Amino acid sequence: MDGKSIFDELKEKGVSRREFIKLSGAIAGAIGLTSFPSVEAQAGTSARFPRAYQPAQLVAKALASKPRIPVIWLEFQDCAGCSEALTRSESPTLVNLVLNMISIEYHETLSAAAGFQVEEAKRAAMEKYAGQYLLVVEGSVSPKDGGIYCSIGGRSSVDILEEAAAGAAAVIATGTCATFGGLPKAKPNPTGAVSVMGLIKDKPVINISGCPAIPEVFTGVVAHYLVFGTLPALDSLNRPTIFYGNTIHDRCLRRPFYEAGKFASSFDDEGARQGWCLYKLGCKGPTTYNACATLKWSGGLSFPVQSGHPCLGCSQPDFWDGGGFYQGQSAPLSKPAGTLGAMAAGAGVVLGVGSALANKQQKKNAKKSEPGEKGGSHELE
Amino acid sequence: MNWNDVLSFARGPLFQAALLIFIAGMLYRLVRVIGLGWSRNHVRPKKSQTKGVVMSYLKGILIWPFVPWVKNTFTKNPIIYLAGGLFHLGLFVILVLGTAHMLVWKSLLGFGWKTLPLPIVDWFAAATIVAMVVLFINRLINPVLKLLTGTAEWLNLLFVFVPMLTGYIMTHHLFFQYEVLFSIHMLSVDFLLIWIPFSRISHFVFYFFSKSIHGQEFAKHGVRA
Amino acid sequence: MIATQQAINMFVQETGGWAASQLEACTRCGMCAEACHFYQSSANPEYAPVWKLEILKRAYEQRFTLVGKFKTAIGIDKKITDQDVAHWSELNYYACTVCNKCAMVCPMGIDLGTLLHTVRSGLAAAGMVPEDLETAVMKQVIEGSPLGMTASVWDSRLEWVADEWEVDIPRDVKGADTLVVFTSIEVMKFPTNVAAIAKILNAAGEKWTVSSSAREVVNFGFYEGDQEHEKLFMRRLFDGAKELGVKRIVVTECGHAYDALRFHAPNLLSEANDYEIVHITGVMADLVKSGRIKLQEGFYDNVGTLTLHDACKIQRKGGYIQEPRDILNIIAPKSFKEMTPNQEEAICCGGGGGVIAIKAADPIRYDVFTLKIDQVNKIGANMVTMTCSNCRLQFTDCMDHFKLDWKITGLAQMVADAMVE
Repeated sequence: MDGKSIFDELKEKGVSRREFIKLSGAIAGAIGLTSFPSVEAQAGTSARFPRAYQPAQLVAKALASKPRIPVIWLEFQDCAGCSEALTRSESPTLVNLVLNMISIEYHETLSAAAGFQVEEAKRAAMEKYAGQYLLVVEGSVSPKDGGIYCSIGGRSSVDILEEAAAGAAAVIATGTCATFGGLPKAKPNPTGAVSVMGLIKDKPVINISGCPAIPEVFTGVVAHYLVFGTLPALDSLNRPTIFYGNTIHDRCLRRPFYEAGKFASSFDDEGARQGWCLYKLGCKGPTTYNACATLKWSGGLSFPVQSGHPCLGCSQPDFWDGGGFYQGQSAPLSKPAGTLGAMAAGAGVVLGVGSALANKQQKKNAKKSEPGEKGGSHELE
Repeated sequence: MNWNDVLSFARGPLFQAALLIFIAGMLYRLVRVIGLGWSRNHVRPKKSQTKGVVMSYLKGILIWPFVPWVKNTFTKNPIIYLAGGLFHLGLFVILVLGTAHMLVWKSLLGFGWKTLPLPIVDWFAAATIVAMVVLFINRLINPVLKLLTGTAEWLNLLFVFVPMLTGYIMTHHLFFQYEVLFSIHMLSVDFLLIWIPFSRISHFVFYFFSKSIHGQEFAKHGVRA
Repeated sequence: MIATQQAINMFVQETGGWAASQLEACTRCGMCAEACHFYQSSANPEYAPVWKLEILKRAYEQRFTLVGKFKTAIGIDKKITDQDVAHWSELNYYACTVCNKCAMVCPMGIDLGTLLHTVRSGLAAAGMVPEDLETAVMKQVIEGSPLGMTASVWDSRLEWVADEWEVDIPRDVKGADTLVVFTSIEVMKFPTNVAAIAKILNAAGEKWTVSSSAREVVNFGFYEGDQEHEKLFMRRLFDGAKELGVKRIVVTECGHAYDALRFHAPNLLSEANDYEIVHITGVMADLVKSGRIKLQEGFYDNVGTLTLHDACKIQRKGGYIQEPRDILNIIAPKSFKEMTPNQEEAICCGGGGGVIAIKAADPIRYDVFTLKIDQVNKIGANMVTMTCSNCRLQFTDCMDHFKLDWKITGLAQMVADAMVE
């Protein structure tokens, strides 16, 4: 803080200029700036410079001139998994760098302080950086029954969120709980969990879904905000399109097997050993938008489908209620209970028998009214 | 409301409701028809009726529809007959031997079976769609069909055509977002399920009545079914 | 509206699970039109067999199904009117021979012939039978024969036949095995057939007889679809058979009569199953096979090209498909040539089902015959034989109309001529 730029702080920590430029490039890559500026704008640039240099330069400029962004990180009905993922990211330099770009003023899990002390720090930060800080929310909010299912320091999650959101420049919901309600919202949703965007209507909310959210995606969004001062382009679910523009299926390394119709039928059959498509084992890849298949996890080492497990679709709304995890996606979400089916069948049979009886009577009447000779008297119905 | 919600609705509650309406409606129709009573036929048969029925099915299911030149009548309109046969064969292959659909059966029945490789099913699907288009055009231009076709017949075609087309496109991940097509696919299937008991698509049940009657009747008369 | 109501009443009575399941199975694919000779010759879509059934289908839906009742209540489906009944009367009596070829092509296997007969039943109940046909029926009720073959006419005709062709025709012989029932068409118009059949049966040494009370096998009630009339005419035959104590009834060359007696009577009259009912074609084939009559091989090989017209009621509906061919392969192995399509897929002559009796249907009937002309001309035949006198009547009538010079004959006549003593 204190008006120091991020670059200054990094220099104090011993990061060399060369390293700095390299990292800038990495960040640029992470937020998908490889083709920035647009091709037309590049028309006049000298061919001596590789294209990737320019975005990196842009990022470097931003890092060299802008102070760190204050962040308040709230946790509600969550498992701290998103925080865990971020802090234990396998690409420490990049994430560290990004963490260096921000100054986390409040974070329940990371703060050394606790109790009234830390609550006081939060209040102070909100005052000091009013209108500037980024609010990051992890976990869903519980407004049900006066918010008694999730309260911190005697205040309900709704209160806390609304108070913090009021002074925020923007809200980042990280993880599927915060973005779409996640597991707490799964049927029958006992706490009445709602997502952040379900509650906060007057601030830009950017959703970084996933269980947990991919750390690189989170850092990418923050870097974007830092570099451009704006939020990246969002899809209809408020997710940054650069990371959520494609489905897992679109970028899946097993996709050729799908096209060829080669599927693993169980987790230990020949197909599974051969690395065939996991569609039959319940993969939700075709409807799941996330960057798992490209960014992957553990420093680009692997992601669930690669390691042999079907995609659960964790970055989609209501994924927990989206049918059995190991049931093919084409299957209906649930089959009607046997009793319901029996009732429907019974209703059909009763209706049929009723009709049949009425029709039998009709036939009898028709026979009765059949005159011995033509021209008997008939009344039209 | 986004496509995810539409999809969940179409795969979840709407599908359930549609399935229940389908079950109730079909049973109503079956019971009603059977309940009309079956008077005994006292005619002494000329040939074995069992054999007649078996032959009737063999010709109907295995050979007849796919070999238009077997019956001279179809030299007049072989393409239409071929299209009809191909359409039904394709439908069977897709619905029973297609992986995605087998999983539906598996979830409903509790057991699955081996399926055909996707590329093969794919060819059937393409052929089925072409056949459907041919039948559609035929219904538009054939004078008899013009007379016979009402709103219900057009709805039949629509309710079958939409799932087929969306299914094909979504399997190939073309043009639209997958869940959009998936939603439309499921919605149209739900409407189809609801529609079947009210329409002549239910012929897949009554086929077995008329085909048995055909075999039996022709055996009675001593004629090849 | 009373007429309409009576038609609907009859439909309601006649529609059981048997008919309903088949009406439900129809996909309205229109394939049956391709089989119908009336549609093929006129291209009038209303002649599609399924459309002839439309009135029955409507009655079924409006009376028996919830959806149909609902649709009628809100006015989507129109109630059946007198005009409808009149219109469908024309469609069914003028342009349908109930030849059942449509059932052969129906992908669902629907037995349209029987359903079309049900439609006629309804129309008859409504009193909407064409006048000519109704007159013929009443003539049969009163005089015993639509062609005016009263008992006295019958006597003199038979005497004349016996005289002219020098054959013995045993009459009213009690204790005979076989009762032979002729049609008035044969007796009045093709007497050679009567003589031929007598000759064959005598040569085989059959114990046979004719009956003066059961003298007319034609059943115009069957054409009309009126069950009471149908039963009345059948009862006359069975009463005659009972009186003489025969075991077997042989129907001569008459298509619809065989159909009515063999396949309808058992469901109308319980005594029908007391007798073995066979067609003369089957009898002849059996006699030939068992060697009781001998035929001169190749007797007709010098007549040019000979073909067989398959009658709808005897071949397609009666199952006598191989029998006439077996005979023809003996007496005309070289000159006999098949038309296409043939056997159970044969094209109907166009005169059956009472159509030939209706003057107003003449243009339609002649139109249909053009299909037959094409068929025969394609193989260049100059002689056509058949096992049904009604077909023969249509053929001979059309010879005049179209100025054709084919030789039209009946199979029994050919067999009688080719017999060696």
